[in-house]
Amino acid sequence: MKIKDYFASKVPYLIMNLIIYTLTLVIMSIAKTPSIIMFIIFLIWFCPLIIYIIIDFFAKKKFYDDIIGILDKLDKKYLLPEVIKSPNYYEGKILYEVLSDCNRNMHEHVNFYKHLQSEYREYIETWVHEIKTPISSSKLIIENSEGKEKNALGDEIRKIEDYINQALYYSRSTDVSNDYIVREFEIKEAVKEAIRNNRRDFINKKISVDIDRVSGTVITDIKWIKFIINQIIINSIKYSRSKNAMIRVSTTLGKDNLILAIEDNGIGIPQSDVNRVFDKGFTGENGRKYGKSTGIGLYLCKKLSDKLGIGIHLSSVEGEGTRVNIIFPISDFTNIR
Amino acid sequence: MSKIMIVEDNENIKKELIEFLTRYGYDAYAPNDYENIVKIALEDEPNLILLDINLPYYDGYYICREIRKEKDIPIIIVTSRDSEMDEIMSMNLGADDFITKPYNTQILLARIAAVLRRVTGNNSIHEIVEHKGLKLNVTNGSVSFNGNNIDLTKNELKILLCLLKNKGGIVSREDLMDYLWNSDLYVDDNTLSVNVTRLRKKLCEIGFSDGIETKRGLGYILL
Repeated sequence: MKIKDYFASKVPYLIMNLIIYTLTLVIMSIAKTPSIIMFIIFLIWFCPLIIYIIIDFFAKKKFYDDIIGILDKLDKKYLLPEVIKSPNYYEGKILYEVLSDCNRNMHEHVNFYKHLQSEYREYIETWVHEIKTPISSSKLIIENSEGKEKNALGDEIRKIEDYINQALYYSRSTDVSNDYIVREFEIKEAVKEAIRNNRRDFINKKISVDIDRVSGTVITDIKWIKFIINQIIINSIKYSRSKNAMIRVSTTLGKDNLILAIEDNGIGIPQSDVNRVFDKGFTGENGRKYGKSTGIGLYLCKKLSDKLGIGIHLSSVEGEGTRVNIIFPISDFTNIR
Repeated sequence: MSKIMIVEDNENIKKELIEFLTRYGYDAYAPNDYENIVKIALEDEPNLILLDINLPYYDGYYICREIRKEKDIPIIIVTSRDSEMDEIMSMNLGADDFITKPYNTQILLARIAAVLRRVTGNNSIHEIVEHKGLKLNVTNGSVSFNGNNIDLTKNELKILLCLLKNKGGIVSREDLMDYLWNSDLYVDDNTLSVNVTRLRKKLCEIGFSDGIETKRGLGYILL
């Protein structure tokens, strides 16, 4: 708060006083008052006025400078009313009350939505668990039945399962709590399960698989990793070329990380789209051409990876293939043995 | 024959699971008296219990704990709750394994076999599948007929095993490939043909000729 600016804001008030004083001067000169009296009246009039403005300035300056200073340092700016002291002048007190009120109301509002969101998440979790029972029995019924519909129905059920998992992980990814459990496991275990899960597509589309160069253990949540690998493999299958398609999974052990690379020789992604594949709802050129793309799969992969603290990187050459690197950090900190 | 008790309150799953496990050579049954499950289990002493968590009267955790107090009957917990907490709790209560629904039926079978093998401690005893004098030793991957013995490769072993499990029935190439991929053997069309040919040759060598017949357009059948 600058004194110059503050005075400037008081100019209309001072001009008002000057006008009234001038009128008084006119009356006094008609009454033939001596100039010394006029000067004394000037002093009596304006000295307290100026002193008042200066005192008022310092009181306000302290309050507002405090606010601005604290606001700059605050991480969550809405916490301001909780941090500042109530000022000792009337207008400031009103402002303070108003701010506190707004803040309280905002908190109630935010809590309402937090509550709504967690309730919705709980509902999704319960729903997912409930729907797994009919899916289980459907799978068993299919397993026990004969006929050519058997495989086709099985495929469809598996797709339903994948979509349900996507919904479950979507609701988990938006939550602030980190409900995963970290343990050490063979990365090959997760890769094998993702391939097993999609085996019928591999067989039907005649896609060959090479996972010979996958080895090593990582320390993270196995279910989330399985979900991420599954999503990437689903994409590789979806955008595979029609002849001699292959998917190669391999690991490279670096000094402080282990990189799992999932490569395919599919249709690839146009250069203009590569950087946006992890954006929510982004379907790009391939999504338009081949359809059935929601732009959720890779977005979820990125989000879950971020939460787990692992890296995910995609590179692609249009017409030649796509490579996704999942980077697991390895350090003394993550090494729990 | 191993006796498997299924504790599950969903009628459809119960019925289908019994049918499925019976087909794979287990004596499966499912009691309906959920209030006295613990008593039934202790009296029956099945070789294995497949236990659901959400049940009427008592939940699976309670049942698991109560059975464990008395006897060491192997228990596999099968549930649709898939949080890590459930898994840890199951293990802490003494369950031998934990599978989440919906499960891959081949994996369920493998887990059941693994648990049974572990508890009976007969790791050394070889699992042998027999058909018309042809003996397939699954553990060391060899097949014998009339005293002649020959080793099989991983792929050949799985192909023969799949045919043996469906003896008398036609197994389509598609199903055969599905079975192999489910066992983490990623074969393509050509490899499958080559493997079947080699398997035929090997069976011929030990005297079991014309065992595998090709049904054009349908698949293979073990005679």
